[in-house]
Amino acid sequence: MDELMELLDDFLVEAFEMIEELDQDLIELENNPDDLELLNKIFRVAHTIKGSGSFLNFDKLTHLTHHMEAVLDKARKGELKITPEIMDVILESVDAMKAILEYIRDHGNDSSPDVEIDSIVKKLDAIVNGEFGKSEENKEESKEEQKSGINLDEISLDNVDELDLESLPPEEVDKILEKLVLEVNKEDNQKDDKENKQESKQEDKNKEDKQEDKQEKKDAVVASENKPATTSKTTAVEKKDAQSLAKKHSITVKEQTIRVDVKRLDQLMNLIGELVLAKNRLIKIYNDVEERYEGEKFLEELNQVVSSISIVTTDLQIAVMKIRMLPIGKVFNKFPRLVRDLARELGKKVRLIIEGEDTELDKSIIEEIGDPLVHMIRNAIDHGIEPPEERRRLGKPEEGTIWLRAYNEGNMIVIEIKDDGRGMDPEKLKQKAIEKGIITPQEAENMSDKEAFMLIFKPGFSTAEKVTNVSGRGVGMDVVKTNIEKLNGIIEVESVPGKGTTFKLKIPLTLAIIQALLVASQEDLFAVPLSNVIETVRIVEEDIYTIEGKSVLKLRDEVLPLVNMADIFEIEKILEPEKYLYVVILGLGATKIGLIVDRFIGQEEIVIKSLGEFLKGLPGIAGATIRGDGRVTLIVDVASLMKLAKDTHNKKLVTDSLKEVKKKKEKPSDYVVMIVDDSAMDRKIMRQALEPLGVQIIEAKDGVEALNLLKQNDVDAMLIDIEMPRMDGYTLAQEIRKYNKYRKLPLIAVTSRATKSDRVRGVEVGMNEYITKPYTQEYLQNVVRRNLKL
Amino acid sequence: MGLGDIIKKQQEALNKPAEENKNEEVVQLVGFVVGEEEFAVPILSIQEIIKPIEWTRVPFVPDYVLGVFNLRGNVLPLIDLRIKFGAPANEIDENTRFIVMKIKGEDVAFVIDRLSSAIRIPKKNILPPPNTYENEDDIIEGVGRMDDGRIITVLKVDNLIKREEIVPDKS
Repeated sequence: MDELMELLDDFLVEAFEMIEELDQDLIELENNPDDLELLNKIFRVAHTIKGSGSFLNFDKLTHLTHHMEAVLDKARKGELKITPEIMDVILESVDAMKAILEYIRDHGNDSSPDVEIDSIVKKLDAIVNGEFGKSEENKEESKEEQKSGINLDEISLDNVDELDLESLPPEEVDKILEKLVLEVNKEDNQKDDKENKQESKQEDKNKEDKQEDKQEKKDAVVASENKPATTSKTTAVEKKDAQSLAKKHSITVKEQTIRVDVKRLDQLMNLIGELVLAKNRLIKIYNDVEERYEGEKFLEELNQVVSSISIVTTDLQIAVMKIRMLPIGKVFNKFPRLVRDLARELGKKVRLIIEGEDTELDKSIIEEIGDPLVHMIRNAIDHGIEPPEERRRLGKPEEGTIWLRAYNEGNMIVIEIKDDGRGMDPEKLKQKAIEKGIITPQEAENMSDKEAFMLIFKPGFSTAEKVTNVSGRGVGMDVVKTNIEKLNGIIEVESVPGKGTTFKLKIPLTLAIIQALLVASQEDLFAVPLSNVIETVRIVEEDIYTIEGKSVLKLRDEVLPLVNMADIFEIEKILEPEKYLYVVILGLGATKIGLIVDRFIGQEEIVIKSLGEFLKGLPGIAGATIRGDGRVTLIVDVASLMKLAKDTHNKKLVTDSLKEVKKKKEKPSDYVVMIVDDSAMDRKIMRQALEPLGVQIIEAKDGVEALNLLKQNDVDAMLIDIEMPRMDGYTLAQEIRKYNKYRKLPLIAVTSRATKSDRVRGVEVGMNEYITKPYTQEYLQNVVRRNLKL
Repeated sequence: MGLGDIIKKQQEALNKPAEENKNEEVVQLVGFVVGEEEFAVPILSIQEIIKPIEWTRVPFVPDYVLGVFNLRGNVLPLIDLRIKFGAPANEIDENTRFIVMKIKGEDVAFVIDRLSSAIRIPKKNILPPPNTYENEDDIIEGVGRMDDGRIITVLKVDNLIKREEIVPDKS
């Protein structure tokens, strides 16, 4: 019972949320009657409320929304133009829907005697059948007709005798009796001066709950416009309801928890993200300071502060993440009943197996994931699982099985919905899509099976032959896709005709801050989620084997496919291969690959940021992060990278790829040496000293110019003066070392500053050699020759 | 001027079609140079203009997408308008700027060679692009004639980049 109440609560919360949005949308729709997107959205709201409503046995609500849906469906297909008259009816029906929902909220059932839907339904039908104008004229007549149907609203003490109670189903009779009892209680109130009574009630209510009143008043007004015959009565009754409702609200149970706007949590999360970045920077700075001032007393203190900030930040981050995390069981729990009820309704036997309900997900994802899952499970039962007889004939167990599974896969959560039903036939899907005009026959021909399966996510595609209460008009799957994509997730479909279908929803832990291994491929840095890194190894080229034309790495007992990361991302190769190769062993599920990178940078905590609308979804890239130095580093999407790696692995040998680096240098004139000095005189001395070597020489007169020249030329060594305007030699060296490409470029300081601290500083910033002026020609030549390995 | 003339003039002013009045509207643009040409975008579409900062390359994108960079904690795409417009790539120098504009709710930065001027131009002086213009992607709003005889191309900011041209469809 509790479960059902929870479900009902969820339904109401969701329904009211949607209706709130709907109000705005409808108004907008009146201004842009041709806005298909908007129509689609409104249609989906009606559809979802219908679906959930029917599941919870709200027949009246389902009845109403079903007819609304029919009208909206016509409109979104362009078969119907929304005129203001039609809009009136739609608005009326939305109001009725709202009134029913409010009644459900307060009474737990949808008998809602004050809401009369038959005339609305009639009008909606008239619209669908294209006879709307006529029905307007026959209003009086239709009113008459309604009496013959079971319309609670029309039943009163006066006409109850006319009803044939025998012929009605028992629950219907119950409702009528309930209604009549209410009627008797109200009788007195209404017989008095109605207007006065209403006024005074209005005031009472105002005191109790202003907000509620407004809402109710609006409803009352709409109701009175559309039902002239019963105006005063219904209005009065509604007022009464509102009153009792308001009372109910005032005695709501005190709650143990606080409801917090998700936006505030997001804001908090963003702030913590910034804090983590600042912390990373602080650690970086601390490391620099530590090197420079080793042994100084204040370092200890600084270290303590940095560590404690770092610990608190991490704790804070975990705490906030936990606030947002909920077990997916919260969503899964509603499914056993849904499956049972649906299976019964459709005369099928279905078993539901749930796994991994403890898997935790961010709250916002939990909220978004419910709807798509309902649709998909419904579809699995309705379209997937065959009726028992058919299953028996096929030699399958009579009882179909649906698996609902959640698990972590790297930085993704995977939710798997699998059935052992009839599966999907790609050819049939294509045929259907062609019939519906979604694709052309040519497109169908070039379509792979995988692509064909994805057709079910196109708007307007439905495999159900007839429209049923369960899985309606092909709205489900495109909603599913939209919702999943909103979460930055992806859907994968696998299906074997006769065997069943598996849907995999992969959803990233969007707001997460993750541990990552930073690696460099050539000059580009990438962050690899640490959860997918099995180990890192250093190998030599001889460890690489070629088996059946593909490169593999023998690692202990295992043979792993080996791919160069630069090949996967088509990065231009500029680094000379070194003796050792660095390999990241990536694992995803059962698959493992070895990824050659050029350098390991280290492990770091990173904040995942989206690449934005225009760049998200790039193959192999999950997002970006901002590092301590302010630069952006791309985060690898391991699942997608694995796929890319597989293609690359089939195409390219690692051993070939390693040879692709720029041409070898043979004679001295292939080498370029850059002289950086602000004094023309000094530059000339150095040039004269080096000319006998036969190397090419270029000159720069300060650090800024040197940096520019360096980027434009292929420089093999640099002679750098320390004292220079604009940018001195230390800074220049520091800047150069920031680039991976120039990590090994020989930098030779040539200066008259000869103290020990100058030399130490030189080493710190990355100088390879330190020559003090004056020097002999031979000495300079020797140093340069040694560094060029001539 | 006789009284009759004045009355006539007033009459004319009153009878002036509303549309013509609308044409008196002045639009404010920011002009900039890319390659050999001068372009302009509405001043309101510009979020900010910054000096070049370091960016990170991104794989599998057309060459006019230089990559992404960090603007105060947000990751923004960087588009080189020179390459986009088919001009040869240029070195970044002290006149180069990044113009950050909002496109479909997202901030996107564009590399331009240099800013030229703030422009106020009557709407009527902006004419639809002549047919001879290459305007396949519908990125040109119109061609503005300045009082000094300069011709500037007014760009349709929203159409400057399109996702489907940047990220290949997953299937």
